[in-house]
Amino acid sequence: MVLVSLVLLTVQTRGGGTGRAGELVAIAVTPVQSLLVRINRGAVGFWANYLDWKSVRRENTVLHGENERLRVQAMQVGETHEENARLRRLLTLRDRLPLATVAGEVIGREAGGWVRSLTVNRGRGDGIGQQTPVIVPDGLVGRVVQVHRGAAVIQLLNDPASTVGAVAQRTRTAGLVEGDAGGTLRFKFMARDGASVAPGDLVVTSGLGTLFPKGLPVGRVLRIEDKGSALFHFAVLTPAVDFSRVEEVLLVTGQTTQDVAGLFPTDG
Amino acid sequence: MWRLLLLLVTVGGGVLQSTVVAVAGVGVVTPDVPLILTVLIALRHGPESGCLAGFVAGLLQDVTGGGLVGVQALTKGLAGFAMGLSVGRFWVGNPLVQVPGLVLLSVAEGLGRFLLLQLFHYPAAFGDLMLHVILPQALYNGLIGTLCILAEAGFELMRRRTWI
Repeated sequence: MVLVSLVLLTVQTRGGGTGRAGELVAIAVTPVQSLLVRINRGAVGFWANYLDWKSVRRENTVLHGENERLRVQAMQVGETHEENARLRRLLTLRDRLPLATVAGEVIGREAGGWVRSLTVNRGRGDGIGQQTPVIVPDGLVGRVVQVHRGAAVIQLLNDPASTVGAVAQRTRTAGLVEGDAGGTLRFKFMARDGASVAPGDLVVTSGLGTLFPKGLPVGRVLRIEDKGSALFHFAVLTPAVDFSRVEEVLLVTGQTTQDVAGLFPTDG
Repeated sequence: MWRLLLLLVTVGGGVLQSTVVAVAGVGVVTPDVPLILTVLIALRHGPESGCLAGFVAGLLQDVTGGGLVGVQALTKGLAGFAMGLSVGRFWVGNPLVQVPGLVLLSVAEGLGRFLLLQLFHYPAAFGDLMLHVILPQALYNGLIGTLCILAEAGFELMRRRTWI
């Protein structure tokens, strides 16, 4: 091999080329070289891909976690925003009302149908007594029927045992609003003659019993049930308040003879 | 210890009823989770446990709900006792009997409660109550009871497989 090498070197230094032998060697070697280069590139690429995949996977896990965290944060922000809006409305009403009120948070509900009530975190210690009226910015919610030390149970307007004196705001037709087992309100004992109550009319508290302030929205007339020759007829009302969505309330601890209807929405 | 656990489950059911269930109703219909738990406890632990669970659950509902205290304690206690007594009779061990049994018991408990409340001049009309409260709630109870029985069967199957 040493001899062959020396011969090749001598031939080249003396001006001769490698000739056909060199070409033959090149022909034989080139594909092998190309193959080796490809294999090398493939191996390097594969390794690089593996490293990329590994880092992408790690990054993906981190991003997933971050995404979850951001989603929870967005939900919390949304919830806080909603709560803020509700409390702002409640505060606005509280500032405008000519009544002493205490704000309370709903901590329990009974919606089985036999009894419809809310439990709030205000009780005897906060000056709450039996029959305290309870309102929200949309209107009347009900009255307190049980008072404990730190909690009170509110009978909702649509409880079957609830009765409130009311008038139709437009016609001043008087009647009683009662709850029923189906969860709706009935405006009962309206005199037939001259009542002229129509669907869409707002029904508000009459203030006659001195229990509820005058003018609190109770509901809107959905339809009139005309019983033919009966002395009275009644109307089915849609409650002014969506009781299932009430989360904060105002408990009215003071008395007023003023009509508070102007402080509540009347456009439905 | 076992009774204490049952008591905790019962109280937990009452809390669930006044918080989560109250806002997760279909329309105005909500299931009576404490009654379902009372029935499940009575089926597995007999009339005494059923009666105790029903009494505690009913009392809790009466106190938190604002109704007459004692009405549900009595009706649910009796329901638990009756269900416990029926164990071993009427093929009550069969889930196909348990679900209709729960529906019928819910209706019977509702009727019992209505009759009891009549003594205190409860104002709702029987027809309205039957149509809007008792029957829909009994059917909802049946559905929840079915899900409970299926969940229990699934859990049992998984437990056996794990043992094998």
